[in-house]
Amino acid sequence: MPLRRSLLSATALVAVSATMLTACTPAPPEGAGAAQGAADTGTSGAAVGGEALDVIGPYEVHSLDPATAEGIFTRLQVAETLVEADGTGELQPGLATEWAASGEGLKWTFSLRESAVFHDGTPVDAKSVVAALEAARSSEANTIAVAPIEAVRAEGNAVVVELSEPFAPLPAVLAATSTQILAPSAYREDGTVSEVIGSGPYRVVDVAPPARIELETFEDFDGQAPAVDRVVYQSVGRAENRALMAESGQADLTFGMDPTSLQRIDDQDGVRVESALLPRTIVLKLNGEHPALSDERVRRALSMALDRPGMATAVLRDPEIAATQMFPATLETWHQDHLEPLEHDVEGAGALLEEAGWQMGPDGVREKDGEPLRVELRTFPDRPELPTMATAVQAALAEVGVAVEVRVDNSSEIPAGHHDGSLEMALFTRNFALVPDPTVTLLKDYAAEGGDWGAMGWSDPDLLAAMEQLTTDADQSGTEADVAREQVATTLQQELPVVPVSWYRQSAVVNDAVEGFVLDPLERSWGLAAVSIKE
Amino acid sequence: MPTPTLPETTDPGTTGSRPPVARAPHDFFWAQAAGRVLVRRTAQAVAVALAVTVTCFIIVQRLPGDIAFRIAAGRYGYDKVDAAAAAEVRAQTGLDEPAFDQLAGWILDAVRLDFGTSLVTGAAVTGELGHHLAATLHLAACALLVSLVLGAAIGVLAAQSRGGLLDRLTDVWVAVARAMPPFVLGLVLIIVFSVQLGWVPAAGHGERGNIVLPALTLAAGLSGLFARVTRDTVVQILDSEQVRFAETKGLGRHVVLARHVLRNAGVTLVAYVGVQALVLVEGVVVVESLFAWPGLGHALVHAVFWRDIPSMQATVLALALIVVVVSTLVDLAVLALDPRTREVR
Amino acid sequence: MSVPAPQRITTAAPDGNPDGNPAGTPATPPAPRWGTPGRAVRARTARLLAGALLTALVAFALLGPLVWHQYSGQDLSQFLQPPSPAEPLGHDHLGRSVIARLAHATRLSLALAVLCVATAALAGTALGLLAAWRRGWLDQLLLGISEVFLALPALLIVLIFAALASGELWTIYLGIALAQWVEYFRVVRARSVSVLTSPAVEAAGLLRLGPVHVLRRHLWPELAPVLLTMATLGMATAVLAMSTLSYVGVGLTPPTAELGLLITEALPYYHEAPWMVLAPVAVLLLLLVGLLGLRSQEVRR
Repeated sequence: MPLRRSLLSATALVAVSATMLTACTPAPPEGAGAAQGAADTGTSGAAVGGEALDVIGPYEVHSLDPATAEGIFTRLQVAETLVEADGTGELQPGLATEWAASGEGLKWTFSLRESAVFHDGTPVDAKSVVAALEAARSSEANTIAVAPIEAVRAEGNAVVVELSEPFAPLPAVLAATSTQILAPSAYREDGTVSEVIGSGPYRVVDVAPPARIELETFEDFDGQAPAVDRVVYQSVGRAENRALMAESGQADLTFGMDPTSLQRIDDQDGVRVESALLPRTIVLKLNGEHPALSDERVRRALSMALDRPGMATAVLRDPEIAATQMFPATLETWHQDHLEPLEHDVEGAGALLEEAGWQMGPDGVREKDGEPLRVELRTFPDRPELPTMATAVQAALAEVGVAVEVRVDNSSEIPAGHHDGSLEMALFTRNFALVPDPTVTLLKDYAAEGGDWGAMGWSDPDLLAAMEQLTTDADQSGTEADVAREQVATTLQQELPVVPVSWYRQSAVVNDAVEGFVLDPLERSWGLAAVSIKE
Repeated sequence: MPTPTLPETTDPGTTGSRPPVARAPHDFFWAQAAGRVLVRRTAQAVAVALAVTVTCFIIVQRLPGDIAFRIAAGRYGYDKVDAAAAAEVRAQTGLDEPAFDQLAGWILDAVRLDFGTSLVTGAAVTGELGHHLAATLHLAACALLVSLVLGAAIGVLAAQSRGGLLDRLTDVWVAVARAMPPFVLGLVLIIVFSVQLGWVPAAGHGERGNIVLPALTLAAGLSGLFARVTRDTVVQILDSEQVRFAETKGLGRHVVLARHVLRNAGVTLVAYVGVQALVLVEGVVVVESLFAWPGLGHALVHAVFWRDIPSMQATVLALALIVVVVSTLVDLAVLALDPRTREVR
Repeated sequence: MSVPAPQRITTAAPDGNPDGNPAGTPATPPAPRWGTPGRAVRARTARLLAGALLTALVAFALLGPLVWHQYSGQDLSQFLQPPSPAEPLGHDHLGRSVIARLAHATRLSLALAVLCVATAALAGTALGLLAAWRRGWLDQLLLGISEVFLALPALLIVLIFAALASGELWTIYLGIALAQWVEYFRVVRARSVSVLTSPAVEAAGLLRLGPVHVLRRHLWPELAPVLLTMATLGMATAVLAMSTLSYVGVGLTPPTAELGLLITEALPYYHEAPWMVLAPVAVLLLLLVGLLGLRSQEVRR
């Protein structure tokens, strides 16, 4: 067969295959759509209308339950919380328009937004809010469990929360995503959630676990109506994939970007990168009962061995976010400008270790009484930069004679190791804005008996007193509260029960067709309702 | 590792030199042969189910670390997993029952297609399995179709220009398709067709065009063997007496092709679909993970990562049963297409 | 007594394995082949090239780690340094030497592949011989067990094992070996049965020359070439399995140098530092091409 003819046939072949692939793709949503029904569960209920906003994020749709849905439905503005927070953590009205404490701080009253309506058409009244909060309280693992709540009840169009002891950060707790308010019809008889019926500007059209959620505008929303009618959220687990999808222009908004890919995407046409400093810190948790790590000098030496700017540049691609203290500057009331920054000083670290009795051994590992200075470091791969950061820490500590064995495993190995005492060192990120007031997170992390994601085998009376002050003092912006926060920050800096390594910059890739997007540094909301798509 | 297991020098044997006789009414033998196939395959399916169930159970029993903590990490996420979350999980899932009772329960449940609840999502595994299965079958069917057409066509073309450029290119294609790890091929396709050219979506599911790249990645790996088999069969048939006779009789080349070659090559290709079932299933696992395609393979990798053993058990079983079902269908199809195979061996 | 070779339907098998033919292509003596001299020469050249390629890679795997021994040493100030004479493949995102990591990764892949294949081949061959020799219930039992493995793609078996303990080498080793033994078992068993029931061996049995003699004189010459081909194929499968596992995130964990892991780690930098991702991809491809090319007996018409 002459060559030209074979080539011709080959071309025809490719064309046929291409046609077949097209035939394989699901038909457009309109029409019966039954032909492909089984295969493309995602498009079955698609609303016909304007162009959809394609959002890609790392969070898988595991669950509809507010406690375990990782805040997807509040980020997508399907569900609301009683209290909201702006980008700085300042509390804002949510489903509650105002709130106040009375009776020595033991009784809190939250007045509800009268016009709010659930997606099933029922009004958001005090009774349904109480039911939703009671559902949240039924789980010990829900964030709401930190507040010493005695009872929640309806009082006219207000919700009253009674406490057994004063708890100043209560409104902040009620801004946590796990306390989101769903309609009574969202719950089954046994208290589990069957569908997400919230009161936000978007309502759920379809949820196809684990990867897809489809939303449309909720017509009866009592606030500003969203500009884009349809939203499709897709969960993509691998950071590289998210980057490639953002790069190819497939997505309008991509969240959870890894720092490396951002460098590449930043130079590209058609997309832009938005970023904001986040109240999240990468920290090194140390076991305070470990024979070596219980010595404050050793802890300080480890901290001095870390080349934070180098690590931030290489791993996070941003020298400015090398941590100089626990709290990043975004947490204005917690960040202390006058604290002496954590410095990189290899010789100083060596000297401190010598002073603590750890002499350099022949194999480059320090030892004391014949015991080598070996530590196991646990971390997890869910955030792609952590294993990389762990190997950077490993190399830095090897330089001062500390042999580190890195174990990349499930994130639960850290709290589990905390409880059975087997944990020696752990690298992870701590989000201080799970509840907009960091006090709540710190209360758990630096309690007298330590915390799963905080101190281990370490506590400090001054810090505990300061925390006590912050939980009971109703005046969070007063001088006493300021002093208490300074006390906490200073103690952590001096004692280093947990060593800050780096802060965090949160980034999203935005398609140029998208207008009006504002990145929320607290990762609470993706602000989709404010976004519009250019024609 | 969905490549290399393929017969190098395929041996179509008598298929080519002795094209099948016209179908005789041997219904009795056909039924008997089909019965043997079904019995063997059913036994295989049952044995696989039992083996997978027991293995998964043993794994659960000896999982390192505290499983309640692991499940909690899956459910609550790395920001929120703590002792309270683990305690909650422990209370909800009956993790403390005696091992033997649990195993008996597992096997009974598996018989009823009840794989329990996912340790991560807390939802019924069987329900989730349906979604995953549909997505996987969709992808696998598309890939198989494309690879068959692509492979057969390339094979026929190569056979006709025996020793020519196209034939040699086919050799190269077969070699590349086999040596190329699917994840590397997938990445190359994403970078070229999505990122650089912007023709198709890079990953995801549910949008138009999402299937193109995963199906192509899978199909490329499969098409090599199909091309090779077709080429060899066609060459052999073209060389056979009958075809030469047909040609001298004055029948046009295309008529000869259509009448003898395609029909005989068809039998061989169908048989090789069975061989490819394993390769296909392995490919599905990798390709789905790469393209975030929410099918069985994606679910399996996820389940392994989170130690979600009930989900793992269900997905492994489903994938293994796909292999068994495809093999059964292929066995039966071959019996139907090629009467000689019905003789008792 | 003549027993037909078991029909093996779901898995393909390497060259010349009569069981490897799928249903529908009955196991018959190979059809006569018409070799064109050009093709035969090309095939020989290809095999020579593959051999040379593999030798080079093995040398790299054995000597590389000696030359560039610091595979985990980091120097953050050097991150993403392009290739230079001292560092032919530059530095990675943590300032580590890419060529050192690559050499260690190649060594790991090859060593694991050899280990897996040796284990699988030994176990599979021994069981196959045992089954062929003893027949009866033992044969049936082993055949039944192998049926189960036939329905389970190797990657599935390896994944199940990966769930046992994440990121540990032994689970991957055990998983791959367990996935592969069945092929050796089926092939050895089928071939041995036909050899053992052949007139020559029956005569040898009459002469009481003993099993060792039968094994050495009759079985081994028949099995050796097949086993060798299967072994190279098995090594390719093992190398691919390991890198695939690391790539999908359930294999070995950092900072181990492993080919799949190197590719995953380097991928985000493909734009800035293409050498970082191209190097492991190239080694992986060459390794596979070499292993697969070695066994190419391209006798074609």
